[in-house]
Amino acid sequence: MAHILRDKGFNTFVIIGGIAAWRKAGGHLESVPKNDLVKLPTFS
Amino acid sequence: MSHLLAILGRHGYSLTFAVLLAETVGLPFPASIALVAAGAAIASHTLSATGVVLAALAGLILGDIWQFWLGRYTGWALLGFLCRLSMNPETCILRSAESFYKRGKETLLVAKFVPGVNTMAAPLAGSMKMPFGQFLRLDLAGCVLYVATYLLLGYVSRDFLAAVLNSIYTASRVMEGIIIAALIAYVVYRIVQYQKYREYYFVPRVQAEDLAARLEAGEADRLQIVDVRSHGYYDIGAERIFGSIRIEPNNLEEEIKNLPKDKDIYLYCT
Repeated sequence: MAHILRDKGFNTFVIIGGIAAWRKAGGHLESVPKNDLVKLPTFS
Repeated sequence: MSHLLAILGRHGYSLTFAVLLAETVGLPFPASIALVAAGAAIASHTLSATGVVLAALAGLILGDIWQFWLGRYTGWALLGFLCRLSMNPETCILRSAESFYKRGKETLLVAKFVPGVNTMAAPLAGSMKMPFGQFLRLDLAGCVLYVATYLLLGYVSRDFLAAVLNSIYTASRVMEGIIIAALIAYVVYRIVQYQKYREYYFVPRVQAEDLAARLEAGEADRLQIVDVRSHGYYDIGAERIFGSIRIEPNNLEEEIKNLPKDKDIYLYCT
């Protein structure tokens, strides 16, 4: 995806280690808004 | 064949148990071949049918129970991890969940026969909160069907298997040559691919601490953090980096239109 964005002209960077590294570095997190949650079916 | 049966005679039960357990938890072990070999060993009175069936069922069911509870406790993360190997992880998660919801009970009965599905069925049942008792009943039925089918196949085709194995021993040198040639071809293919797409590998990467420093320096309005995880949005309580936005991987062309071109874009995944 980073390659595609760079091809489209966006100045793109990738965060090494993703959200796990961010969390480890003590960065701020927020809960995913309920409207953004994808609901998958369950048997219960 | 006699060499194989000798090995099976010494370690047959533990080998059957270990191979089936390993295959059930996702390791690349040939469970069906092990069962066919065990069936041939039963036919030649090297192993007892009761011992093999018990060892096989124990391996399969213990592995499935482990996978079930792993799925239950990790939620959709385990499915997301397994789907990483697919061409489209996002679609893989959605389709797997919907398909299993519609046909989950029947799937558990035949899952062992389908490569890929055999590894995913138990964790899916766990993730989708199937009652454990129901899972155990269906899984046991599926395991019995699987074990019986391949043991029977090995039992009735023992002579045929002996002929096949003898042919394989004879042709082993040819096989070695083919495998070495295939490995060389694969290495050459990877080198060619690397050379072809080498320029794409240069996407700047930054440490989380460096980005945090930019934010603390008051540069938040000059950058946009984007969440491109293919999963992580299925469990209540899921978190993301503060102020980040989500890009739906399946709708990339449309999502790109909403991205600011005058800001630095920072992508992150799990």
